[in-house]
Amino acid sequence: MIESIVSYGLAVGAVYALIGITYNVMFSASRVFSFTAGMLGMLGGVLGALFIGKLGLPTIVGFVLVLACGAVLGVITEIVAVRPVLKSIEQHLYVLSTLAFALLIQQFTAIEWGTEAQPFPRLIPISSGWFDQQFWLPLLACAATIVGLELLYRRTLVGRAFLAIAEDSYAARALGLPEQRLRLASFALAGIIGALAGFTGGEMLLAFFGNQAILSFYGFVPVALGGMGSNRGAVIGGLALGLFQQAANFLVGGIFAAVAVFVVFIAVLLLRPEGLAGAAASRRV
Amino acid sequence: MSIKRRHVLSGSAAGVASLASGFVGPAIAAPEPIKVGYLPALTGPSSSTGIGINRGTELAVNEINAAGGVNGRKIELIVRDTQSDPTKAVNGAAELTKRQKVNIVWGPLNSGESLAAVPLVARDGIPQLHPCWVDSLTDVKKYPMCFRDAPTNQQIGAAANHYVVDVLKRKKVAVVSDTTGYGTASVEAYVPMLKEKGATVVYQANIDAANPDLKPDMLRMREAGAEAIMPWSVNAGFLARICNTRGKMEWDVPIVGQTTLGSGQTKALLEKPEYWNKVYSNNFRNVCFGKDGKLPPRATEFVEKLRKAKIDMGDTLLWWIALGYDGIRLIADTVKAAGSSPEQITEYWNKLKDWPGVYGNITFTPQQHNGFQDDEVVMCEVNSLRDGAFNLAPGYAS
Amino acid sequence: MEVTQTTIPRTSARSGWLASLEKAAPFLALGLAALAFPLLGDSYWGVIVTRACVYWVLVAGLNMVVGFAGQIAIGWVGLLTLGAYTTSAMTAGTAMPEVSPYLALVAAAAIGALFGLIVGLPALRLRTFYFAMATLGFSTIVTQVALAWKSVTGGGIGVAGPVFGWPFTGNWGFYYFCLLIAALCTWMTINIAGSRFGRALVAIRDAEVAAEASGIAKSQLLMTVFLFSGALAGVAGGLFSSLQSYITPDAFTFDLSVLFFIAILIGGRGSVLGPLLGALLLTALPEVAAPLVAWSTFLYAALLLAIVLAVPGGIADLLDFKNRRPLERHREVVPRPEMLTRLLGGEGSVLSLANVVLSFGGVRAIDGLDLDVRPGEVHGLIGPNGSGKTTTLNVISGYYAPQSGSVRLGDAVLPPGAARVRASHRIARTFQTPRVIGGASVLDNVKIGGTIDGHGSFVEAMLTLPRHRRDEAVLRERALLALSAVGLESLADVRADRLQHSELRFVEIARALMLAPSILLLDEPAAGLSAEEIRRLGALIKSISRAGTSVLLVEHHADLIFDICDRVTVLNLGKVLAAGTPDEIRSHREVVSAYLGA
Repeated sequence: MIESIVSYGLAVGAVYALIGITYNVMFSASRVFSFTAGMLGMLGGVLGALFIGKLGLPTIVGFVLVLACGAVLGVITEIVAVRPVLKSIEQHLYVLSTLAFALLIQQFTAIEWGTEAQPFPRLIPISSGWFDQQFWLPLLACAATIVGLELLYRRTLVGRAFLAIAEDSYAARALGLPEQRLRLASFALAGIIGALAGFTGGEMLLAFFGNQAILSFYGFVPVALGGMGSNRGAVIGGLALGLFQQAANFLVGGIFAAVAVFVVFIAVLLLRPEGLAGAAASRRV
Repeated sequence: MSIKRRHVLSGSAAGVASLASGFVGPAIAAPEPIKVGYLPALTGPSSSTGIGINRGTELAVNEINAAGGVNGRKIELIVRDTQSDPTKAVNGAAELTKRQKVNIVWGPLNSGESLAAVPLVARDGIPQLHPCWVDSLTDVKKYPMCFRDAPTNQQIGAAANHYVVDVLKRKKVAVVSDTTGYGTASVEAYVPMLKEKGATVVYQANIDAANPDLKPDMLRMREAGAEAIMPWSVNAGFLARICNTRGKMEWDVPIVGQTTLGSGQTKALLEKPEYWNKVYSNNFRNVCFGKDGKLPPRATEFVEKLRKAKIDMGDTLLWWIALGYDGIRLIADTVKAAGSSPEQITEYWNKLKDWPGVYGNITFTPQQHNGFQDDEVVMCEVNSLRDGAFNLAPGYAS
Repeated sequence: MEVTQTTIPRTSARSGWLASLEKAAPFLALGLAALAFPLLGDSYWGVIVTRACVYWVLVAGLNMVVGFAGQIAIGWVGLLTLGAYTTSAMTAGTAMPEVSPYLALVAAAAIGALFGLIVGLPALRLRTFYFAMATLGFSTIVTQVALAWKSVTGGGIGVAGPVFGWPFTGNWGFYYFCLLIAALCTWMTINIAGSRFGRALVAIRDAEVAAEASGIAKSQLLMTVFLFSGALAGVAGGLFSSLQSYITPDAFTFDLSVLFFIAILIGGRGSVLGPLLGALLLTALPEVAAPLVAWSTFLYAALLLAIVLAVPGGIADLLDFKNRRPLERHREVVPRPEMLTRLLGGEGSVLSLANVVLSFGGVRAIDGLDLDVRPGEVHGLIGPNGSGKTTTLNVISGYYAPQSGSVRLGDAVLPPGAARVRASHRIARTFQTPRVIGGASVLDNVKIGGTIDGHGSFVEAMLTLPRHRRDEAVLRERALLALSAVGLESLADVRADRLQHSELRFVEIARALMLAPSILLLDEPAAGLSAEEIRRLGALIKSISRAGTSVLLVEHHADLIFDICDRVTVLNLGKVLAAGTPDEIRSHREVVSAYLGA
């Protein structure tokens, strides 16, 4: 029982953490929280099942294609739903435009792919033990993403430019950084991470259009807990959420676990709106 | 498949034209068509049933109209897709009864929508035939013109309970469902029935179907000493997860429950084909393969018909198609024998005895508007699925 | 003075019955059409229009939250669910002895109001997106609880909806009942929209900083609106359950939430008529556009995206013919300072800052500042960029809390960092970038400044009781006075975002004058103005101070400063470099070398 809580809890937590990072990467580049994070996760599963399961492409080709689709969708999100409303960011129109875009894609998936959960192919043809690939794949993806982002941000020039934008976009623009192109690149990167989350979690969560709503919410909880923009916070928050949810599942069962997560979420938000690790934002006059 | 919500299936172009104008035209030669209002869920989350039933419904209408209709009257099927949404069902029922002034309503096909639509149709005094299982959906006092040509939840549950307790001889049972209306209602109804039969319900839960991991619940079932699992859900993903988890836990316990356990979607989600062994779902004697591997004569004939009409059976269930076919045939036979006014239909049905359907024999009385017979509800072996039909489960005489 | 006229010109701000009739006409037309609708005898469309009325009851309330206050509440279907179950359970007697459906409807309003407040609470503290997520979570939880709490809700099998008895029996009876409530909600929301509360909500949405400076209590106002919106959602739920005849948790889909939300945005934020048309449109559209029905949510989403990107003003914007008439090209702002005496007056007090220190991180933005502004004087505050001028204004108006030192007005010590209470001390200000509500008329923008002087409560405004009507009459008169004082009376009815930048500066001054301030803080009011305009601005500022309001002026135009100021303080690096009369400053050696560069 303990090993089931831990293996499953960590795996689903890793998916939440990756979605949380997706939120963060988009937020850092644009100060915008986008509803498309959950959509990317959902599509990672659906497209994976489509390419590998339905069309019979080799696993690795399917994998690359899914990530490419994620990147393209990230770019489209930026162009269609974010860039046009950035100039009046204080009106929060981005909440509406990204919600609309995410709903659009979700409904399209529901109609074209179907409203039933469909199987996701087994990625690596090896037999399973108690710690199956469906559990360690998301964890691996999460670890790789964190290491990759650290390397990108600390070691490369482009990465530092990302950080500069995230820190202060006006100053960064004044320094001559191509803010718009960096933002576009960030959204592409977020698209890849979101699709990766859905793809590696596919065996566990299946190819199902309804995953979008679940991932949108549970992927945002780690961001709220860990403080916005903090990837480390998202990972810790995500894994903690996964374990908490699974433990609650074991101890009190389904409906109450969902209610418990919601209550904790609201309580944290009301008591520490800046997140458990974050700092309060400054004024805006 | 087209996704039109309102389309008219009719042998003649005149039928279409008359609908377009909203009234039946005063054509001299063509007799007035029989207007059947039809409320399937062809899209939305629980549409797979509707799509299956729809194939049978359309087949019957085409067949009857091609043969010249009923006493020379064509059947005009006026369709409103309810999209598995009760609010759409209410709007649809209003359109059919108030504007189209149909002779009879066929459907809705899902309980959630019927719960809202049945009282409204009854209020407008129009006869209704539906195949939904929730017990309260027939009531000779409240809805005197509403009939059901399908089993009730009681009958479904009784068959499954009988199989678990009397045939498999399992006394400790786990009863679970998803959190939908249908699921929670079923658990609530079946647990007392099981207890009455002398079984112990060692575990009972409503599980969120969106939760991908069912191991916690399954472990608790096993710890509680469950000897059989009875899941009640129309969610293929949920049911497949139960089968998969049971397989991975290497837990040798039968799963007995809802017909969706045997659907193609559930099969597609199994991690290994053998996880479908020892899974028994509800089905109906008239559409199951007997010991000899053959369907009963009426069903054999029906399958031939489907083959000729090139209707796909592989991705749906035979009993769904049969149910749709029977619904229209029953209406047509009734109009032929008695006429199409509400009183004529109700009066005829109140005395209907052993009407021979593909799906089952239907008998109504003034006190009993549930037409399906108890002994026609059986259990089948899901891993024997072929052409949308199954073998009877071991223990049934064919 | 070049202007001789002293009355408010008749052309400005059309008033009286003609204007109100023009505003009410579309509603009256809709109402009459709805009253006569049963004559058509199509009871199928009767059901659809009844449904539209029910949805509108909810949308009318939600409109105050989303359209006016700008809070992104996407899970409002949760409150509909709550209202529906409350009414049904009480009528069916599953939780307690049966009661009349009418009584149950009242209870649903109460429960809805309570939970509207609970769901709304996070909005007082959280960022927009967080609040959206919280409402989303709430709607899921309500459905889950409805499923689990079988004894009351019937769980998955559900519970029968109420049937309303005499006098609203039968299909058309129920139709008229829903229509009556919908009309009542329309009337109430129109009243709120046109009151100082409605304007304050829009100010919170579009110009939060200015709203704070005008003394608008955001939390209190939002809480009131959540109560109101929750109550309407509860009533809508009760009607919904009767219309459905039977409710199960399946009936309360997220799609319904999307419909409510999008109806408002299609209609246009800050309008009542627009969302009303939006709700009608979205309810009726799927009944007409048959082949598209499976795609309806997809189309709603597409519509939402298109609206946000292309027509942020929605239907209301398309219908706003008045604001498409071209404005006069070469218009001039000609202030009429003689109006000020009717607006201002009263004894001023000394504003004094003593040893104020404020640092950001390691930087001392203000470093031990002492400053006195005497009643009736124009006091200039100058200095190079980064010397702490605007920061000083922000300390006075409570946006920054200094680490040490005090700010006093007369005998009263102003609490540090409490921007909202400054208005009650009669401290008014303008901003470097004008903070106005682009979508509201110039007159309404100015009225914002007088918000705290209203006496009537929210409920009085909702029902247009006499005290509220008096408030509005006074506000209107003063706003017109303020506008003619700054010279903008001819633009009173024009939407503020059509004005030129320089005109907005005068709008902000008019708004500040509404408070009859004892001190007025002006942050670079001359930026972007022509030489002639600066001259007129100077005269206006001078007259304001002579009418009893002291002025603290932050400005870069040295000429203006030296022309009109009685005294000038020069800041450098957060400290006072020099202080004195304009002449003293002009000859101050350090100032000349460091700053004036002459």
